[in-house]
Amino acid sequence: MAKKSIDWSPENWPSLIYRLFTSFKVATIVFVLLTLITLLGTLYQVEHGLHAAKEQYFYSWIIVEKVGTIPLLIPGGMLLMWILFINMTLGALVKVRKRWKGVGLLVSHSGMLMLLAGAFITHKASSDGYMALYPGMKSNRVESYRDWQLEIMPLDDEGTAEKAWILPSDELQSIRSDEQRKYETEDLPFGIVINGFSQNATPIPVSAPMAAKAQGKEIDGFKLSQQQASKNAEQNLPGCYIELRPESGDPIETILWAGSFRFDPREKPMPFTFEVGGQKYGALLAKRTWVVPFEVQLDEFIFERHPGISTARNYESRITRFEESQPEKPVEIKMNEPMRYAGYTFFQESFGPQGSEPGDEMFSQFAVANNPADQWPLWSLVVTSAGLLLHFVIMLVSYIVRSFSSKPKAATAS
Amino acid sequence: MKKVTLLLLSLFLPLVLAEAREAPKSGLESYEAWDPEIVQAFERILVQDGGRVKPIYTVSRFTLMQFSGKSRAKFETKDGEKHNLHYSEWMLNVLFRGEIAKDIPVFVIDNSEAVVQIGVSPKSKKRTVYSYNDLLPGRARLAELAAQYNEKHQKFIQSEKRDRQYELDPIEGMVRNLGGNISSFEFLVGQLGFARDGRILVNENILPQELLDLAAKTSPMKMLREMPMPEMSIDQLVQIIQQPPSQEEAEKTLQDVFRLYFFFANTSRGLNFFPPQDQKIETWLSASDMMTRGLESKEARPWCAGQLESIEKLVDAEKEGDEAFKTAINSFVESQHEISDPANEGLYVDQEISLYRNMPFHKALYYFIGAFLILAISWFAPGSTFGKVTLVIASLLALTGLVYDVYGIWLRSIVRQRPPITNLYDTIIFITATAVFLGLLIELFTRISIGTLLAVIAGVGGMFLSIKYEAKEAADTMDPLVAVLDTNFWLATHVTIINMGYAAALLAAIIGIIYLIVRFIMTFQGKEDKSFFRILTRMNYGIICFCLLFSLVGTVLGGIWANYSWGRFWGWDPKENGALMICLWTLVILHGRMAGWIRDLGVHMQSIILAIITTFSWWGVNNLGVGLHSYGFTEGVWGALYTSWAVLGIFLFMGVVIWFSDRAKKAARREATESNIPPIPSQ
Repeated sequence: MAKKSIDWSPENWPSLIYRLFTSFKVATIVFVLLTLITLLGTLYQVEHGLHAAKEQYFYSWIIVEKVGTIPLLIPGGMLLMWILFINMTLGALVKVRKRWKGVGLLVSHSGMLMLLAGAFITHKASSDGYMALYPGMKSNRVESYRDWQLEIMPLDDEGTAEKAWILPSDELQSIRSDEQRKYETEDLPFGIVINGFSQNATPIPVSAPMAAKAQGKEIDGFKLSQQQASKNAEQNLPGCYIELRPESGDPIETILWAGSFRFDPREKPMPFTFEVGGQKYGALLAKRTWVVPFEVQLDEFIFERHPGISTARNYESRITRFEESQPEKPVEIKMNEPMRYAGYTFFQESFGPQGSEPGDEMFSQFAVANNPADQWPLWSLVVTSAGLLLHFVIMLVSYIVRSFSSKPKAATAS
Repeated sequence: MKKVTLLLLSLFLPLVLAEAREAPKSGLESYEAWDPEIVQAFERILVQDGGRVKPIYTVSRFTLMQFSGKSRAKFETKDGEKHNLHYSEWMLNVLFRGEIAKDIPVFVIDNSEAVVQIGVSPKSKKRTVYSYNDLLPGRARLAELAAQYNEKHQKFIQSEKRDRQYELDPIEGMVRNLGGNISSFEFLVGQLGFARDGRILVNENILPQELLDLAAKTSPMKMLREMPMPEMSIDQLVQIIQQPPSQEEAEKTLQDVFRLYFFFANTSRGLNFFPPQDQKIETWLSASDMMTRGLESKEARPWCAGQLESIEKLVDAEKEGDEAFKTAINSFVESQHEISDPANEGLYVDQEISLYRNMPFHKALYYFIGAFLILAISWFAPGSTFGKVTLVIASLLALTGLVYDVYGIWLRSIVRQRPPITNLYDTIIFITATAVFLGLLIELFTRISIGTLLAVIAGVGGMFLSIKYEAKEAADTMDPLVAVLDTNFWLATHVTIINMGYAAALLAAIIGIIYLIVRFIMTFQGKEDKSFFRILTRMNYGIICFCLLFSLVGTVLGGIWANYSWGRFWGWDPKENGALMICLWTLVILHGRMAGWIRDLGVHMQSIILAIITTFSWWGVNNLGVGLHSYGFTEGVWGALYTSWAVLGIFLFMGVVIWFSDRAKKAARREATESNIPPIPSQ
């Protein structure tokens, strides 16, 4: 049988593209590639951690995978999901023949589209961070897990600051370890030069044997030693060389290291302090923060273990929520029972300090998420399940009807 | 078909032969069994262990499994009699007749080299079971080597990328395990040593003669009641006994009392028999805790001494005779329940004992094997009345196996007051039940024996795996849950549904394997049975659709749970990715079929790849050591997975051979058509 020849004329291109994007073949290829990158991304986590795997495989457009020394290009998760979205919209909703037997599939594909759309909104518009509080502490400030920013602030006599100049995390973290960037601002009487930023680093004394390998200059007997990025990106402690250049006088050089920030909600950050024109300033690497429109006070943190063993049975926080023009509201947050309020969700995430035992004074840590598509997966699940169920019931009924109407001849295993 | 039947029947022969092994020889002249009523009473003693209150029956079972890999102790005494002790009877010996327990062979050693290392002459070069007394000459060397290997193992675990230089070789691993098991055994034998009037039985060489003489005259209970001991902590007690011996006779006696007291407080740790007085406190206490508390507080002494006395009464009653011992045990159990029942603890002891005594999963295995044998017999005369009757019998036997499996799952749910699945072990028995149910459902609709075959293959495989897994882990499989899993709603929905998806994926692979085997054989015989293959494909397609529905719903439900617990729907965690890959591959099959790329053979081959992905998701990702779901690390899993994937790869290869053969046939037909020669008729 002769194959139909394809009309490649430019007028026919829209039709060809439409046919391509609505085809089952494209859907099949996308599913195969998605399975492949999911597998590769899962295995990649073992060596490089979750954050790196997400960036490399799931949020990327193109993946360069090396087979031996030959680079192999594979479409990334982002690209594949866009193709899938288009394919599903055009193929399963627009092109599909509308008949009662296909209602279930139509509904289930709509549900999956909703899920993909929700994932996109979550990826683009959601924020997540944490808030750690000891009993009695109150805050509306949420800290990022991974984003570090440079803060330079004028200090009063007591060493406190009212405002700060901030170099945003996106800008700071884009500086390479061998790169120099300069910044000028009207708010500060000096220029700022950053000489290399490392995502994970440790200052080491020059007398240490490892110092010989560390690049960068020696400042006050220390060098910044670049470390391999941690598998758990939250554990990275970045560092950079910074130079402050006043209009007159010698430049001030130092190493800023995230380890000077606090690890415990009670500790105070220790900025590098210096004076320019008689005004005292502080500079430090701090986690990016933002505020929620209400305050949370931790009243009590309860931590229980199963009797006689170290397995945690329960941890929960009793808090009071404060908001202007609203009465105080006591709330319990525990595992599987978060507090959802004003578009924010507070989850019982963990506790500290590390190595604490029941009976010790402990802080409670909440994961704070703001996701406009928070409940979309639930709705999409309902729609998809209903659609699939309907489809399979229709298929089963027609199979049974077919089976009974034309009884098959005895087919046996032999 | 008859040859295939005989081949399959012969596969079960090794299972039967494996049971008929020689019982190891014991140093005991003879052995007198316990009165069954005493054993039954003893089984109900409550112990708090692993975070929950359970009958000593359960503790005995897993302790013996840990030592010997089996739940019974078989041995032959010098009088030529063979004995086969149930684990609770073995534990009765350990606690109350330690001198006999020391001669019962329970320590399994896979390689005689491990015994040689500790300086003991091996009984045999093969896997052998030793008694405590057999290994006693090498005890000191064993302690030394076990400590050394433990240290090495710790370094291996703590090293950044599992540094190979610290990895234990198999022999070192055996010595390390043996060291741990011997210490546990000594703790158990020495557990009631404080109540034995000086019969210490283990580690007696630690004590000088004057302390052994003192132990014959007094006990910690008497010391608490009768001696003027000041209130002190255990640390203070340690300081006192570390002081040089006093010259004063009275002071020296008191020092001896303290030293003996410390020895007993140290050796009676482990078994927490005593519910706390205060119902707000959940932690049960051991005899050692009683001694420590009694030492710390004069106020607590009467109660602590009373509890220790209850143990002494048990030990004394054992010497008085069966009736007295039985009464003492019953009274001890009653006293435990008086406190534990109001605290809602130990309420389901009878159900737990019933679970282990009735062995529903073993019985299910036997029924599935029976079903398989009968089914295989039915294939000698398929389609005849005999064939139909035997098929019905096989299906009913498989159904009975399913009932036993479900009964076991139900009992476990009752004991824990939880939905059916809370850990990896539960997934095995639940997935088996689902797969067997689906197989029998298929049989109900098709009546061609394939559904029953699927059910018995899934049943035998699943039950065998569950029994092996339990024996390998040798630990309680009803542990309490970590905080994040403490939600019956999500356990009942997400976990249950996703495991139904796993079951369907594995069942699809079994259908695929049957298809490939039969087609492979027929291809080489030059035969074809299109209607049979069409039925198999339809079956597989239906099961894959079922798999998609449950995997997808289960995965999204998991995401919703994660959103409730951790604040994100999807985190690309390995376990989540595993579930996603199952969904994606079912979509590959369904869409590939619609695209015309995958036909009958393709569906079956893809279902095998689906099984590879499913086993990776079910077992593999837990062992990657990363992610929020990296629970249930099981040693040896990767080896088993690679083997199973290699076997599945063989079936895939068969599929490739069939595909080439089909192509060759098609090409021949086309050539024949083109040259106007009548085509070769398909057979």
